[in-house]
Amino acid sequence: MVTVLNDAEATEFGKTTVVDARGVACPGPMIEAKKAMSGIAVGEVMELWSGDSQTKEDIGYWTEMASHTFLGVIPARGYERLFIRRGK
Amino acid sequence: MAEGKKFLIMATHGPDNPEMATLPFVMAGAAAAADVEVVMGFQGDGVRLMQCGVAETVTSPGFKPMAELLQAIREFGGTFLVGGPCIKSRAISEVDLVEGAHVVTAGRFVAEIASATNTLFY
Repeated sequence: MVTVLNDAEATEFGKTTVVDARGVACPGPMIEAKKAMSGIAVGEVMELWSGDSQTKEDIGYWTEMASHTFLGVIPARGYERLFIRRGK
Repeated sequence: MAEGKKFLIMATHGPDNPEMATLPFVMAGAAAAADVEVVMGFQGDGVRLMQCGVAETVTSPGFKPMAELLQAIREFGGTFLVGGPCIKSRAISEVDLVEGAHVVTAGRFVAEIASATNTLFY
């Protein structure tokens, strides 16, 4: 079950790095997240934008395998904002 | 969690079947993004995908273009092994293959399969 967040909760994550993967086809959002993660410090948060509602399921598996933490999602207009904390 | 995992993903379909040709790249890209060690093998018509310029011509609706997947897999440390007899029978020269492709024979594939934690054939 994916946690649905609100903007106030997302603000508590502190500095976030936005990765815009809207319009990127499968498995593009995971690949864009992997590429961008190398530029994010351990413990910091990535905000991944995706227009594919199935991405959050993929990201749930991906974060588990890659030892990151999927914090939750905020639905936006035509896309979703997924928050991932770098774990290693 | 993915540390210690190794996938051998074998592609046997060529550019005339874009969906079946793209699927091994989709799985390899997803696995490599999850820190799984990825080895892609190419046999049969699948070897055509390793010819320079061919991946750029292959797209399948709903999936990231093959050339972009190939680039990402390479960037994440994936290995590309191409069956020697299969390129020979198609008159494909080793110098015509994409950067990083290695020509191998059955023994290497067997060794890679034996050491992989999971193997997928397409």
